[in-house]
Amino acid sequence: MNYIELLDKKPDLVTPGTSACQGCPAELSLRATLKVLGENTIMCIPPGCMAGAGCVGWNFDSGLKVPVHITLLDNTAAVLTGINEAHGRDVTVAAFAGDGATSDCGFQSLSATAERGENVIYICYDNEGYMNTGFQRSGSTTKGSMTSTTPVGEVGKGKEQQKKDLPLIMAMHNPAYLATLSPSHMSDFVKKMEKAKSIKDGFVYLHIFSPCPTGWGFDGAKSIEVARKAVETNIFPLYEVDHGEYKLTVPNKNPKPVSELFGMMKKFRHVSEQGIQDVQNYVDKKYKTLQALVGQE
Amino acid sequence: MARDFITPKGDEGIYQIDTASWRTYKPVMDKDICVECGICLTYCPVNSIHKENEKYIIDLSYCKGCGICANECPKKAIDMVTEGDK
Repeated sequence: MNYIELLDKKPDLVTPGTSACQGCPAELSLRATLKVLGENTIMCIPPGCMAGAGCVGWNFDSGLKVPVHITLLDNTAAVLTGINEAHGRDVTVAAFAGDGATSDCGFQSLSATAERGENVIYICYDNEGYMNTGFQRSGSTTKGSMTSTTPVGEVGKGKEQQKKDLPLIMAMHNPAYLATLSPSHMSDFVKKMEKAKSIKDGFVYLHIFSPCPTGWGFDGAKSIEVARKAVETNIFPLYEVDHGEYKLTVPNKNPKPVSELFGMMKKFRHVSEQGIQDVQNYVDKKYKTLQALVGQE
Repeated sequence: MARDFITPKGDEGIYQIDTASWRTYKPVMDKDICVECGICLTYCPVNSIHKENEKYIIDLSYCKGCGICANECPKKAIDMVTEGDK
């Protein structure tokens, strides 16, 4: 079964009408994720866009067709551990958390769960900010981004710090499997998700790039285009770490300049030439680190 | 205690809202140009595109009209038309 057939045939385990914004790739990622993970799954979704969109359910109705818990921002990974201990290894236990809940608030429980090597799947959809509450900056926001807590004016020029490289931080915890996914590369997405489901000997961390049309300021129809551009410019390289073996799954020999991505949305409109160059240097350096880990210079 | 555990399905009367009412533009597929590649299906965030009798069709019951299908279609077989025009 190829990935298009799989996405067509497998039952959709998410409610048909969620209140996610038009063109939200996180909704696409959640549906694709649950199509692959299947019915024998228990989900944990902390507060964030997908919880706010009704996937955890309201007033005794569920938003998913599998059991779903709304955890706290800071204990998602710990709740996964508890559920896994209660049910044994026959059931897939997965979290679908935003980047704020992962890289900032929930990091200590995530790090501890990864260190203990619990047999759970932690999925982070990275929309580079606290989008559900009105686009506040998070550790995962790219440098220069205009957010509601790093506004642009006479003094402020957007976020001053570089993006926290969460996938690489998690890779250093030696998980059984780790991968970065993009909804623009669906065949790669499904392949990695199937592999994540098959891992039964340790912690799995997946990081999904998820451009936010409403917060970043671009047309919802362009969500997938933006996600693809982030991969082509190496801002979000696609790789996997299978039991310590690094592999670039979508090698990018001729990366495009990051300015191509910056030109596509409002949140970078004010960024100066120097600001773009700073991000370009950071991206190049990060990609070199990755190539060194993969073992190709 | 390890056991043969199958998680129960959620209630079929699940939480849902009428997202079709959000739509300003609706996608219309031109079957003369369409090559049935399935790219639109893989990228539809609302899962509104299905294959029926070997042909891809758009189900508008929950379509939010985001336009990703029209933007990603390699043959440009999908047009976004104003709701109510066609």
